[in-house]
Amino acid sequence: MEKQLQDKARELLESGKADVIIGYGWNRDKSHTTPVFIKKAEDVGKLVFNKLCVNNLSVYLTRKYPDVYAMGKRAIVAKGCDIKNIVVMMSEGQLKRDEVHIIGVTCDGVIFDQDAWAKAEDGSADMGAELKDAVTATKCHNCDVRNPHLTDTLIGDKSNFTPPDEPVGFVFDKIKDIEKMDSRDKWQFWMGHFSRCIKCYACRQVCSLCYCERCISDKNMPQWIETSAHLRGNLAWNLIRAQHLTGRCTFCGECERACPANIPLNVINQKMSLVMGEAFDYKSGYDPKEHPPMIVFNPDEDKDDFIK
Amino acid sequence: MKNLYLPELVTIEDITNEAPDVVTFRLVFKDEALKESFEFKTGQFGLYSALGLGESTFCIASPDTRKGYIECTFRKSGRVTGALAAMSVGDTMGFRGPYGNAFPIEDWKGKNLVFIAGGIGLPPVRSVIWSCLDKREDFGDITIVYGSRAVADLVYKEELAHWEERDDINLVQTVDPGGETPEWKGKVGFVPTIVKETAPKADNTIAVICGPPIMIKFTLSALEELGFSDEAVYTTLENKMKCGVGKCGRCNVGDIYVCKEGPVYTAAEVKLMYNDF
Amino acid sequence: MAKKILKRSDLTKLVASVGKAGGAFVAPKAVANGLVEYVFIKKADEIEFDYIVPGKSFKEANFPQTEVVARFKNDPEGVTVEGVELNPPRVVIFGARPCDAKSSESLNSVFTWDFIDEFYTKREDAMVTITVACTTGDNACFCTSVGIKPDDTDGSDLLLRETEGGDFTVEAVTDKGKAFIKEEKAVFTEGKATPKERTIFEPRKLDVDLEKIGEYLKDTDHYEGDLWADMARKCIGCGSCTYACPTCHCFDITDEGGFSETERRKNWDSCQFDFFTLHASGHNPRDRQYKRWRNRFMCKFNIYPGKFKTKGCVGCGRCVRVCPVRLDITEVMEEISGA
Repeated sequence: MEKQLQDKARELLESGKADVIIGYGWNRDKSHTTPVFIKKAEDVGKLVFNKLCVNNLSVYLTRKYPDVYAMGKRAIVAKGCDIKNIVVMMSEGQLKRDEVHIIGVTCDGVIFDQDAWAKAEDGSADMGAELKDAVTATKCHNCDVRNPHLTDTLIGDKSNFTPPDEPVGFVFDKIKDIEKMDSRDKWQFWMGHFSRCIKCYACRQVCSLCYCERCISDKNMPQWIETSAHLRGNLAWNLIRAQHLTGRCTFCGECERACPANIPLNVINQKMSLVMGEAFDYKSGYDPKEHPPMIVFNPDEDKDDFIK
Repeated sequence: MKNLYLPELVTIEDITNEAPDVVTFRLVFKDEALKESFEFKTGQFGLYSALGLGESTFCIASPDTRKGYIECTFRKSGRVTGALAAMSVGDTMGFRGPYGNAFPIEDWKGKNLVFIAGGIGLPPVRSVIWSCLDKREDFGDITIVYGSRAVADLVYKEELAHWEERDDINLVQTVDPGGETPEWKGKVGFVPTIVKETAPKADNTIAVICGPPIMIKFTLSALEELGFSDEAVYTTLENKMKCGVGKCGRCNVGDIYVCKEGPVYTAAEVKLMYNDF
Repeated sequence: MAKKILKRSDLTKLVASVGKAGGAFVAPKAVANGLVEYVFIKKADEIEFDYIVPGKSFKEANFPQTEVVARFKNDPEGVTVEGVELNPPRVVIFGARPCDAKSSESLNSVFTWDFIDEFYTKREDAMVTITVACTTGDNACFCTSVGIKPDDTDGSDLLLRETEGGDFTVEAVTDKGKAFIKEEKAVFTEGKATPKERTIFEPRKLDVDLEKIGEYLKDTDHYEGDLWADMARKCIGCGSCTYACPTCHCFDITDEGGFSETERRKNWDSCQFDFFTLHASGHNPRDRQYKRWRNRFMCKFNIYPGKFKTKGCVGCGRCVRVCPVRLDITEVMEEISGA
């Protein structure tokens, strides 16, 4: 598969169809993968694809990266889940279809808990089925895009995986747990987690759908969100971000992975997605022509009149 | 406990509208003892608070030769400056300072002086101009080249008129092409060009410049052409600051902390700096 | 003479005794799934012993993420300002690591050059640092490559070494540490012989030359060049590395509150944020992410050692571990060392 990927990358670069390949490479000791920007055909050997390719590289297609944009025509190595973000970016006018060459890669799931995985690899932990389940991201257990849905090039063997009817995995278990709580316990649960927030904004920076050039947290006239890392400011930030992603979030899981405070952001974002699914029968990231429900308003279809 | 971040209260004694969105405040310390004892050196800056909304950094625009008050001139552009601009005479605000180094005016005795400023860059130069004018006999020829985008954007209009009248100052005013009005009697052209045209003698002369980065860049090369040595050219760097006391870590240009080692530098020093402006 | 011993079972007594004397006890604690942090604890059974380094360093104890420095009141009688008067209680940091302990000196050097920030120094004066030498580590640890040993005493008041039996041998490093042992003599016991200590962890040694990196950064021409853009292109500009870093000291000063009563806070900030250096005019000296990343590298290996004469990097490896894109500072260090 890697050979296929590298050959395709070489072809794109040599033919001038792409000036830069945004893909995955190894870090120094091959314990993690890291984003690479391949500009020269002779460097395509650096491209890899494996279970550790957890990053959603679509963030580099946003306008937050003028330097990447300036490198010329972009091609990106993307898993099905990453392509969902590209789809949302397209539906929101952030990216045109012909502005990026999507090298879709079929995927068997990626490792979310890479430290636990490393222990299994070096033999200090038993990589049984149980651990394998635990270290694989919840999204992968339920993935319906292991065969990527929007690509210019498709790499890898067809996956025959069928997602379960009812979503499974830690995130959904947790959502069910929280749904059973009373409001007071829910509040305490979230305040407990938000209290650890350090306002590093890694959740925002790693997210390709947080593409605003001026985030609401950076605005101070008026100051919507207090910048201090106290409960008030942390609650405001985390809830506002969740709301801004409602109906847009594709559950790529990057925010939770990036969070140095281990705040279960997937739980809140996925809960919002479930609500959107129930209310609007909508799932984001599948059709670039369809707009997320919370960002469209059609006065003709509005049943209420308070906004008219 | 000595609290580095605690502002002193000052009263706004006078407000002058200089240009659209540009105002000058004259500030007096509420504390009588401090009002007497407060000292600063021309070139230093302070942090001015709209209490409850935050602090902004401006130079002290009045000269150290005048005691009992300080002045600041700022453009309304954000949360703090917006709130300050909405204040009235008699209102209270906060001040921390003075911070930073100063212009070595003492060392300039007997020399000719050229002051060059663009737009809102005049306030820091103005404090030097008045410091020197208040000891006029210490210096040789004094030339001031001041330009802005348009006539309306010139600040300190009253003082410009006063300097224009004095025969011991050579004042050259200019506006960028297109910024002139029918009544405009000054020059039309960019500051670096006008500096070259005016051609002050480099011999035994100190130049002080302040303005937008692009103006500074071209003026420096104009002065070089005229024969000014880098050691004889002074400028003041304006970087974003929060603490003013070398802790908060944002005003550094490479390894230089502008708030403590600056903001006043010679062109020679600036040329040695990292390209981090 | 046999070393003094601190029994693990006596930690209960120690925590209680420190609390009784009005002090606070900070120790590593598992606070979330897979995350250990230094936090204030009330009971010894909250202490986590299985950790490499906690998520963030204990700099928070002296330099909180957010703290009020002044309060303002605006009412019909006029405006008043009131500075916060700090009288910190003794804070015992238990389970520090030698890398973190060493970083106190670095933060101190910034907070005391010329102007003295008493919000930092008063807390530091009231702190007792009890370090536990590392018997565990990972691939991100690189303290020995920046001149620190996993059982260094520098910066600690007491250095503990774990024994095979799970207790600790005690080495008093400073007078403050000696005084602490005297005060708490009930728990620092003396046995006949020193029990066998566990083997100290040996981190991987990088192929780096700090002096060469320092020299490289001194040349302002090296500030240009493709190296920075190439190495840091993937940086997403989150502040994780800076917030996890024991020596990162940048902060913001911000006012918040209502109309009549407001407070001025000193909050952690990060040189990785684009608004950090943005001028009111719209000009931004560090307008690209690689320039911001370059600044952090410069801070660690030029500004700290050159200007403050202290270590900018203590090799704790936190920035490597937390980086969502695995931008590994050690790779850049090696690249420049080999340049």
